[in-house]
This record gives sequence, C-alpha cells and structure tokens, in this order.
Amino acid sequence: MDKYKDVSPFVIIKSDVTRRSFIYTDRALGALDKSKHQYQQRVLIGSNRDKNAAVPVSLLLRDGTSIIGMPSKTAKNPYVVDQIDGKLFLTDQGEIVEEVHYWYKPDYYDKFTSSGTPMWQVASSRPQRLDIDPNSHCHFWNKGNGCKFCNINANSTQSEKECNMSKQLTAQDVYETVKEALKQPGAFTNLKMSSGSILSGAEIFDDEVDMYIEMLQAAGDNFKDKKFPSTIVASAFSEKQLAKLYENTGLMTYTSDIEIPNEALFAWICKGKHQEVGYTEWKRRIIRAVDIFGAGNVSSGIVGGCEMAQPHGFTNEDDALKAVLEEAEDFASQGVSVVHCVWVPMHGSAFHNQQNPSLEYYVRLAKGLSDLRKKYRLNIDMDNYRKCGNHPDSDLDRGNL
Amino acid sequence: MSILTENIQVLLQDSEAAKVLATVDNQGIPHIVSDNTITINDEGQIIYLELIETSRNSVNLVNSIWFKRKVAIHLSKGEESYQIKGYPAYSIICGPVFEHYYKLSLERNPEFDLSTVWIIEPDEVINDTYDARKNKEREEHPLITHLDRLAK
Repeated sequence: MDKYKDVSPFVIIKSDVTRRSFIYTDRALGALDKSKHQYQQRVLIGSNRDKNAAVPVSLLLRDGTSIIGMPSKTAKNPYVVDQIDGKLFLTDQGEIVEEVHYWYKPDYYDKFTSSGTPMWQVASSRPQRLDIDPNSHCHFWNKGNGCKFCNINANSTQSEKECNMSKQLTAQDVYETVKEALKQPGAFTNLKMSSGSILSGAEIFDDEVDMYIEMLQAAGDNFKDKKFPSTIVASAFSEKQLAKLYENTGLMTYTSDIEIPNEALFAWICKGKHQEVGYTEWKRRIIRAVDIFGAGNVSSGIVGGCEMAQPHGFTNEDDALKAVLEEAEDFASQGVSVVHCVWVPMHGSAFHNQQNPSLEYYVRLAKGLSDLRKKYRLNIDMDNYRKCGNHPDSDLDRGNL
Repeated sequence: MSILTENIQVLLQDSEAAKVLATVDNQGIPHIVSDNTITINDEGQIIYLELIETSRNSVNLVNSIWFKRKVAIHLSKGEESYQIKGYPAYSIICGPVFEHYYKLSLERNPEFDLSTVWIIEPDEVINDTYDARKNKEREEHPLITHLDRLAK
C-alpha cells in the first residue's frame, strides 16, 4: 500500500482477498444470523453452495466496497475472517487488516413464487442489485469448448442434482420475484441478467436474445416506465439482435465480455467463442452496441490476470499489463468501458491448478482501467461499486469526479 | 464512549441548529455543505445523509475514508457554537441502517433518493464561540492584545 498511496486501500485489500481467498473461524461463522444475513445464493460462476452449510455469501468493507468471493479450504495462504470484541475483521497472519460485514438478506429471499420456487433461487441479491440469471447452462461447453476459466456448467449441474435447483427460470417466477423485491424501499438500484450462451436459432444467439426479451419483459412489467436501470451480461449480439433487444425491453445498458483482451489467448482460452464468432467479430459487436445504448452504457469484462495462464499466456507481468491496457484503451476510445474481475482458478474449471498474478499486478490493472475511463470520460454507473462490486477498477471510479 | 458532551449531542439532535459539513478534495480544495439534518447515533457518532451520489461532497467523503482525511462540522444555535473534526468511519449503502434512513429521507421529502449514510467518528471538539476562542488566546498568548484594552 505504501507504493500505491493514491489507490484506495480498500480496493487493494479487496483485490488481495479475492486473489488469495479467505476462510472463517468458528467464531466468525457463529456471528452469521440466518434471519439477517445471506447464506444462500444462486450464481452463474463459482458455487451455488451447499444447502446444508450456513456460510456467509460475501463480505462488505467499511467504505461500502464488496468482496465477491467464497471461502476456499484449499487456498494456500488465505485471509482469515474472525470475530474480535463483537466485530468481524479480516486478519492476515494474526494481524487485523480491516473490519468486514456480512451481506444482508433482502426481504424477498425466504418467500416462494406461486410455482413453489424459493425466490432466492430466482434472484440473487448483491448490496444494491438484483441478479437474475435465467439460464445457467452454456452451450459452448456442449462441444467441449467452454472458456477455460469458467465452471458454469459444472456448478449448475451439481446444483440441479444435489439441491433440485433448476438451470432455467420461468418468466412468471421472474415477474413475481421482482414484484416482491421492489416492495423493499431503498434495497436495489439496478437489475442485472446474465446467462450461459445459447447458440441456437436462425442466426447464432437468436434464441438467447429471445430468452432475454421474454425475461426482461417479465421483470419490466413491474415498472412504471418502459425503461428501467438494468443491464445484461450476454453473448456478443449482432446489430440486428441488439436493436431488437433494445426496442422490445426496458434494457438500458449492455455488457458482453471479451474475457481475454488478446486474440491469440482468446482463441486458446475461449475456444468456442473464437470458433463460432471470432475475437475480431466479438469485439466489433461490442463496440457497435454503443450506437444503440450510447457511450458509457456498454462495457466489456475481462478475467483479470487470466492472460498469464500457462502454458500459452504471458510470462512477464509488465508485458501482460501493457497488452491488456492497450486493448482496453482501444475499447475506451470507442465508448466501451473495460472492467476486470480478479481471476480465481476455480474448482470445476480447466484452470483450477493455475496460479494468478501478484497483488501489484491487480493494483496496476485496476488503476490503469479506471484511469482510461477518466481519460475518455466514460462513466460506469451501470457496473459500479454498489451495483456489481466485482470490479476493483470501477470501485476506484467512485473516488473521481 | 463518544467525546461529544451531552449539550453537543442535544444540539446535534436539534433540527433548528445550523450544521455545516466541510470536506477537502485530493488537491486540498475545500468544499462545504449546509445540512440541518446532520444528527447523531446511539454510539455518539455523527450521521450525515448524502443524497447525491456523484456530488463533490460525496467524492470528497469517499476519499476521506480511503485516505484517512479529517472532515469538519460546524454546529451552532444562539450563543452556542462548536467545531467538530472527525474521520468518516463507515459508508453505508445497504442493509437495515441504510433502509432506516432511506425511509426517514422519504418522510422529509418524497423526492429524496438517499445515496449513502455516512458515519463520522468525532476526534476533536472545539468550542467555537468568540468568548471561548478569545479566552483561550488570552491564556496561551497574553502578549497578543491592544494596549487600549488594558488602560485604566
């Protein structure tokens, strides 16, 4: 932290906790109140959790920064969350690092839709965002070409088998859950949808677009105006598909993740996307979305640090960072924000045995991406610290004016 | 235990009192807002409700909590006047405390859309009346005065 005095220490802590993972002491787990805190959550990537274990779904820092992460029993050097004098703290080698809080549970979480689905399985909740992932199965994996950092299908298959959690949501369940969630004053500022890629249709992704239209319309029926603060994290749609989506739903912003901002590595790590669409076309489609949604309303996520996955990734952090930031600047200069998450080599992904880069790499990456937004005057209100919380770079933006 | 005396705590709960919050930006440029809804919680910490997420004040408070910069609150009513300096300790954007103040804001004005509940930990209190400041100076710097004031 001494080296980066102009970078929020909370963002540095967040990046390192995500990078190294964390565990809970029994005292800290004892502080979880199942009536107040979230201990169940449906997520696309990561783990939907063991229904019998009461473990907090995530952490919140004093400044409102979220740490999106899961405890890992196999982490080699994890932080430890402990309860000391009635408060919860992140500790490292026995030293207190920072106070943390568990995420609160929204009022709708323990309710059921008319079909009997638990509402927490329909919409997850981040501190100020409703997360609805209508399809938890990615078609790229059907041919064995899923992205190597991702465990979406492993996670959803396990959850379906062990917890009877459906991979697909119904529009009626979405409508009813959003309706219930909106009854809680001040709880949400955004609605996000995401899904595994659906390749079918007359044109690739046509069925995915139709699925989003159906689900966004169902959610949108709960709002006074047609448009409402919302985003999707989806496949790279054609201009025709994007226009159809925009015109027929309340959607205001759009994200499609380029994942690895380097063509050669994209072809290796995101083989299915490269084969079906290609890096150049995937990128072109994201940039063209600015014509429909407007500059600042389109973003693209990258799995920060995955460009150093071996054996084909960069072996030098300076080279990797330079390549990533150059490509991010090309996006930014055309109205697209690039945001990063911290690459966690997850169980169930092809990269589960890999090692992510240094903390310094993540600090420089976050600062670099945030500085690009400042340079090109792009706001990231759609994906900021309170809405998503998964991007150290967009957390930094809240300190800029 | 809070360093705020009982009469300061009462004044912080008084909606008729004048309350001003001063912050600085990363270049040290000051910024002030007047807000008589500034109040105090049960732990003796000061509560400031930020209604505008992207305001200069909000960004200054964010940088204050990140980089441990003090903010100042001027508090006065009638003959009483105090300056309280402290550190933003929590930026609350969700959960029961946030929702409590969200509803309170709506009661004050249905147009208010609360962004953040800031909790400021007081660190220093200065009695800011002229009498108190002058008495302090006379005590610590007896040579600073005009001679005509000492004449018979």
